[in-house]
Amino acid sequence: MNTDRWAHPAEWRETQDLLPPAERDLPVDRHEFHKERLMALIHDESRTTVPGTPARPGEQRSWFRRPAVAVPLAAFALAGVVAGGVALTGQGGDSSGVATGPLLTTDIGTASVAGTGDLLDRISLAAAAQPVQQPQAGQFTYVDAVTADTFVRTKDDKSSVVSEKPHRRQVWLSPDGRKGWLTEPGDTPADGMTLDSTEQMSAAWDGLAKLPKDPDALLKKLYADSEGQGNSPDQAAFSRIGELLGDSVPPAGLEAALYKAAAKIPGVVRVDNATDAKGRQGIAVARMDKVSGQREEWIFEKNSLDFLGTRTVQVTEGQNPNAEDRLIKTGTVLYISAVTSRAVVDGIKQTPERAS
Amino acid sequence: MTSELRSRIRDGDPAAFEELFDACARAVYNHAFRLTADWSVAEDVMSETFLAVWRMRKRVDADGGSLRPWLLGVATNVARNHLRSNRRYRAAAAAAAADADRGALEVADIGGRVAGQVDDRHRLAATVRALASLKRREREVLVLCLWEGLAYADAAAALGVPVGTVRSRLSRARRRLASLADAELAARAGTGRMPPRAARKSSGKREPGAPGRQVRGDRAAAVRSAREGNR
Repeated sequence: MNTDRWAHPAEWRETQDLLPPAERDLPVDRHEFHKERLMALIHDESRTTVPGTPARPGEQRSWFRRPAVAVPLAAFALAGVVAGGVALTGQGGDSSGVATGPLLTTDIGTASVAGTGDLLDRISLAAAAQPVQQPQAGQFTYVDAVTADTFVRTKDDKSSVVSEKPHRRQVWLSPDGRKGWLTEPGDTPADGMTLDSTEQMSAAWDGLAKLPKDPDALLKKLYADSEGQGNSPDQAAFSRIGELLGDSVPPAGLEAALYKAAAKIPGVVRVDNATDAKGRQGIAVARMDKVSGQREEWIFEKNSLDFLGTRTVQVTEGQNPNAEDRLIKTGTVLYISAVTSRAVVDGIKQTPERAS
Repeated sequence: MTSELRSRIRDGDPAAFEELFDACARAVYNHAFRLTADWSVAEDVMSETFLAVWRMRKRVDADGGSLRPWLLGVATNVARNHLRSNRRYRAAAAAAAADADRGALEVADIGGRVAGQVDDRHRLAATVRALASLKRREREVLVLCLWEGLAYADAAAALGVPVGTVRSRLSRARRRLASLADAELAARAGTGRMPPRAARKSSGKREPGAPGRQVRGDRAAAVRSAREGNR
């Protein structure tokens, strides 16, 4: 009889009859399959990440990666990225299935702190005046966008910086975020792939509708949700807003509140000139990540102040760059997007054009 | 595993992740089964655990011993998300217990004795059912300590909870196991033999419409081919 109440469970009388099941080996092909999946993800995410820093919250396909809860969900947010990785390995191991084009570069616009708060106020007002679309149960939110990503490709021991051709990316999500579809030829099969998940995606409408509309409360939540990501808490919160802007159909009042919250993040600047993935010119609200030397920009139409898209530009060399980072010259556009349409539709693979 | 591997993991060195995967995939896979009672779910949990580890690599301390306890902690969190409700876990456990009774779930060969004896099969089935009767958090710490051999402090660190919490969960688990054992004894005294009762009980508990688990292998294959369809 064991009387020590702190005894290890292995010493308890109560566990003496317990018998563990025999260990099994994973079949070799399954072991290799999962390893390949892991390595594909690592490869995919390493290409724009400064080694020794946390994986940058990716602007691209970000809502996959955005856990709504802390640790365990991280794994699920990954699920979408993983599917992307699997798609890649199925195509012979190139790091992107999307066709590449000329390297994306830009003139680095002039950034200034002055007037940024003012600009965000006006952008917020313009957003508040936009009509709001609200999905009913059974409907889907739909975001149609153009995106392109720049990365380091290594072929036959030679590394070079390449950009994808700007290409179409369509996402459907059920309001609860459990059903979805992604069509991004090259990164998905031509017909697209399911985003069905038991976990709620953070760009899903229901979750967004629950976010506070008070800018201070919202900002607090954004910092909490992005904790531990990115190179600094401020940058992580800023990126988080950018992801929500680019990937969602925002519920009433949210977009306006996001801009007001952004105005409270230290280091936010205005950039006089920026171009989105469809070549539309605008002004930008931006923040520089000092560690990576990259500036993340949200682009707005100059007069209407409508949100156009986002862009990440290598503005200066990052801290502790490695050989691969040094290949990325100042002025390189690392990621670019343009939102073409945001809508509510009745089913997966339906588009507003086709519905009407 | 050394602190050298730890810093390489922290730095995101792909070769280090390959090493870690090769060294620990099996341990994580089996741990996941003990938490989920379902081999195909365990496979998914294993896979996602390493993806999560890649994501959380900066949280690895550069100094320290084996990464195994931490990995098992991450796997525990992933598994918790996978079988969201304890009810689902119990359904899987009931099926696993029935498998054990039939000899379809092998018994660990402990101390060189002949495994697979009828008694051992029933003991394993009873074990699975006993674990299913615990609350999830109790089961998690018990499995980590009892079968993965973690000390209290390691289990606490792995799960990210205070040591006192591990202790209180364990002592609740212990009380529950004790009362179960008493009930089992009483039942055995009443019926003479435990296994038939246990087998009936488990099949009766199965959720209506749940597929028979005799085709466990087939089910895993179906999941696989669906996944490959995503390529």
